[in-house]
Amino acid sequence: MAGSSMQDIKRRVKSVTNIEHITNAMKLVSASKLRKAKSTFEKTGEYFHFVTESIEEIVNNSADIPIKYLEGNREIKTTCYIVVTSNRGLCGSFNSNVIRQAEAEIKADPERPEIVAVGSKGRDYFLKRGHEICSEYMLPPENISFIETYGVSAPVLKDYVDGKIDEVVLIYTSFVSTMEQRVRTVRLLPFTPKRDLDVAPMEKQVEYEPSTEEVFNYLVPKYVEIMIYTAIVESATCEHAARRMAMESATDNANNMIADLTLFYNRARQAAITSEITEIVSGADALK
Amino acid sequence: MADSVRLDIITPERLFYRGEIELVIARTLAGDEGFMAHHTWACKLLDTGELWIQEAGSKDFRIAAISGGYIDVKESIVIFTDAAEWPEEIDVERAKAAGEKATEWLKTQAQADADTTDILKARIDLHKSTNRMNVAGGGIRKKR
Repeated sequence: MAGSSMQDIKRRVKSVTNIEHITNAMKLVSASKLRKAKSTFEKTGEYFHFVTESIEEIVNNSADIPIKYLEGNREIKTTCYIVVTSNRGLCGSFNSNVIRQAEAEIKADPERPEIVAVGSKGRDYFLKRGHEICSEYMLPPENISFIETYGVSAPVLKDYVDGKIDEVVLIYTSFVSTMEQRVRTVRLLPFTPKRDLDVAPMEKQVEYEPSTEEVFNYLVPKYVEIMIYTAIVESATCEHAARRMAMESATDNANNMIADLTLFYNRARQAAITSEITEIVSGADALK
Repeated sequence: MADSVRLDIITPERLFYRGEIELVIARTLAGDEGFMAHHTWACKLLDTGELWIQEAGSKDFRIAAISGGYIDVKESIVIFTDAAEWPEEIDVERAKAAGEKATEWLKTQAQADADTTDILKARIDLHKSTNRMNVAGGGIRKKR
């Protein structure tokens, strides 16, 4: 009786130990990937404000800017959602958080949305629920280059200029710390500049070449491209952070389980010994 | 020695260059243009081309290949570009291959009623490749 249960417990300890080895290895891998991704992410985010500042300068200082990229130029009907998820699972609630937020946004939208999926998890989710995915990108996000993200941004920008979509919303995970990631929703287009009326116009005239309009028309799409690029890089960083956390707790749980099971095993073994002794003793007593 | 001004060259992936310079020559859409300290405030779009930087206190120019972007001239100069490389970072073989591919494509496909944007893209690829090779070879323009 006790023998078979001891066998079972032994087998379970063995399998949990195997799992613990795997999760521990994954944890270490994610930790090193996280370090790498974090250094890329820190480099990209730092200089981004220059572009936004330049755009705001133009908006605040010149009258003749093209309206097509600005807020309020047309009624918003079709919205394009860019949902940044990962290609791989086993990273805790990372993907489901993004998807939940995206789902909420899409439900709140009365019009039929267009979805651009970055990462296979998001794509699979929305495909299964009958949404139409207008484009998808499955490149591994670890060492994506800026040029490669054109594949995401170019069609979106084209559709916006052609009037097929009226709004571009980016949903991705932003990196707060290694312990905390937050899903963020950012509206990329139409562009909403900070109109600071308190700030006096610049004291010097700025020379725009070829023209204010063209510089502006160059900057806004660039802004969108950079935002998408940084979002992908940031989301990759978060993915590794989330996976590291998930694997760490999995390893901890496995260790706890091994400790518990070892205790049960020892108890079962002791119980078996005790019952055997009782049998022998009672057998000896019976012979007297 | 002329006054110096701070120059930042930024790509989406990294800070490419930061330092005090006397003169930077960049190719704007209208042609090559040099910027020194106390330049009028300006914001100009750049073409794919060579970038010549004369660092403060130096006689020589450093050159780099950049592909498009814009220059923002204020108290300091900021250049924002999609990609920037020093000559030693350029993979000449790759640039050459890309150039050959673009030339080949233009020869064979361009007659067929190809999309104009595709032709434009191939031209830009060719341009970028030539530029990279020029920069790797020490720049097309001779030093003064």
